[in-house]
Amino acid sequence: MELSRRHFLAGAGAVSLPLVLAACGFAPAAPKSTPKAGTLTFTTWGTDSELAGFRKGISAFQAANPGATVTLNAVPYKEMFTNIDAQLQAGNPPDIFRVQYYNFGSYAGRGQLLDLSTQLDSGFRDRFTPAAWSAVQNGGKPFGVPHHTDTSAILYNKAAFETAGVGPVPTAVEDAWTWDEFEKVAQKLRDSMPADKYPFAVNWQGNGVTRWLNWLFQADGRFLEDDLVTPAIKSKAGATALDFTRSFFPKGFVPPSDSVQSSTLAADIWFSQTSAMGFAGAFLIPSAAKTLDFDWGATFFPRNVRAGGDLGGNALVATSETSNPELAASFLDFMTQEQPMRDFCSGASLLPTRADLVAGGIEFAQRSDLSPVFVGQASVVQAQDAGQVASPDMTKIITVLKDQLELAFVGGQSTDDTLTAISAGIAKATGG
Amino acid sequence: MTGQFVAGQAPTVGSGRSARPRTRPRGEARAAYFFLTPNVVLLGLFVFLPLGGALILSLQRTDGFGEGSFIGGANYAQLLSDPLFWRAAVNTVLFTVLVTPLSMGLGLLAAVLLNSVLPARGFFRSIMILPMAISGVATALMGVLIFDENSGVVDKMLRFMGLPGVPWQSGGAAAFASVVIMTLWWRVGFNMLIYLAGLQGISPELIEAARLDGATGLQRLRFVTVPLLGPSSFFLLVLNVIYSFQVFDLVFVMTGGGPQNATSVLVTYAYDQAFVTRDQGYAAAIGIVLMVFALVFTAVQWRYNKSRDRGE
Repeated sequence: MELSRRHFLAGAGAVSLPLVLAACGFAPAAPKSTPKAGTLTFTTWGTDSELAGFRKGISAFQAANPGATVTLNAVPYKEMFTNIDAQLQAGNPPDIFRVQYYNFGSYAGRGQLLDLSTQLDSGFRDRFTPAAWSAVQNGGKPFGVPHHTDTSAILYNKAAFETAGVGPVPTAVEDAWTWDEFEKVAQKLRDSMPADKYPFAVNWQGNGVTRWLNWLFQADGRFLEDDLVTPAIKSKAGATALDFTRSFFPKGFVPPSDSVQSSTLAADIWFSQTSAMGFAGAFLIPSAAKTLDFDWGATFFPRNVRAGGDLGGNALVATSETSNPELAASFLDFMTQEQPMRDFCSGASLLPTRADLVAGGIEFAQRSDLSPVFVGQASVVQAQDAGQVASPDMTKIITVLKDQLELAFVGGQSTDDTLTAISAGIAKATGG
Repeated sequence: MTGQFVAGQAPTVGSGRSARPRTRPRGEARAAYFFLTPNVVLLGLFVFLPLGGALILSLQRTDGFGEGSFIGGANYAQLLSDPLFWRAAVNTVLFTVLVTPLSMGLGLLAAVLLNSVLPARGFFRSIMILPMAISGVATALMGVLIFDENSGVVDKMLRFMGLPGVPWQSGGAAAFASVVIMTLWWRVGFNMLIYLAGLQGISPELIEAARLDGATGLQRLRFVTVPLLGPSSFFLLVLNVIYSFQVFDLVFVMTGGGPQNATSVLVTYAYDQAFVTRDQGYAAAIGIVLMVFALVFTAVQWRYNKSRDRGE
């Protein structure tokens, strides 16, 4: 066979392409299936169920990699990120830590996390839902793995619903109440309840202010353009979402203490039966099942132009200073494999980020009857919504949202002024 | 008396200085420096060094990761036009103005009461001091249970009596009041303790003399006891003001600075800037301003106190 110059170049190119691409970080690195050795430190906060899930995952990882040791450092949530920041600044961070999606960007965008594009197989992304995968991207590269998610749905007090004559609740996400229907339900409850009880409480306190974005997404709005720099909140959708949510206060649908800066959490309001409904994440199910002595159920978040939900939950990330990046990546890979993720999510009442587990469903260890509600709610989270929340400037945007929504909800600031101020605050935060 | 005279020299009459007085202070000074050294080293390492670091940080724009960029006094200039900073500063001053005299006044009354012949006064003294043993966060958590406007003890009792509940979380003034009340509960015991020690240093003969001169109980308190407690009052005034400027844990847990920043104080605002917004240079500038406030106040008080002593 005659070997022409063109054939030679094509052949040489085919042989060398994977090496070139791998060097650029775009290509499949070799599968990391061989056992790894070394020591990792892993810092996290968590409920008892979550910590039990992490310990189980670590044991399984160590069993699969006999030379590997992972030291779990469990810290209180309030101290978690002041500790992590101090350790990063001092140059002695843990190898792995857990981080909320809305906080992820502030580390990834400042060079503090390990770029996993050179560590994980190219097909790695296929194991996750698009929304979950988009939440761990920065500059088009993954800097973490989406470990689990959570999203808000409605927990309701069955007796309060019966008293108010509220009919059967939606049982499929596509049948979720529209905003109008939800408002009618709230009004029925308002009419049937004493003045010091309320139809519902919304979980947007503190950094949970990102859950206000649910309403914005349902109005088909966004707060950042695709460039994650230009503010997009000053829009018809933004005004619709803000007008609707601020009306909860004068209509007496929520307690006055349910504002954004309040120290009273929506869960506490609902747990104490001050409200008939409470917007809540699935992570509350174990404590609700354990402590509540009234009959309760769950249904979906209302929808407007479209359904939408917040991408709660957390990613696992490795720090850029880790001395064993290969082992760290291997641990992140292991923790998001099918069985470890199923065990963790089932035990802690959290939602998986793997596409196969989302499609196949998952059963919570407690109140498994509520699993379909939260899994269904999570399925309507769109990648474009999750991508905005992963902005490197999200922590600054959260401060702007907290200050301005508080003024709108309980300070009498107009919708237009609020959206203008939020837009200006976002522009200042992103430099856009 | 050896060493008092130097050979070949006549003693200097009336100079007030001799060889021995010159050497003894040097020895005492050496001993003083020796005893001070551990404190000075610790202060240097854990106070002055971080203070210098904070001062440098306050001149930078930095998120805390990597090198910051030097921006001179821009953070301080930004403070001037930041309404949230001014709101927090006003709240801090208001908190100080309310808490300092109230905790000192209530502490003095409790001390006078518990210094008198009172059955089981040891027990009551212990009860008063007990809050000092409880951490700020635990105190704040108790405050949350007491003052929650939906399910707290106080509002439940008010509603039980047919009275309207107080909006401890949703009303700015009520939220501020709840923090002040919990701070007083926490701090009055300490004030009482210091005043009690001061009272026990006052000679009973002075009180007795005032009584014989016909002074009423209130007059004895106003014109004898309170003036004689001057050093205790000065100590408590400075300490209460500094503690009030530094209030953080009670506000952070009980109100989070809300509603509508009604309870935001300088330290919670600095914390938010440093650890939520991650604008650490700006947060350091707030901290430096806070320190300057405290230093200026203490210096003024110090001067005032010294002149009062001279007057006495």
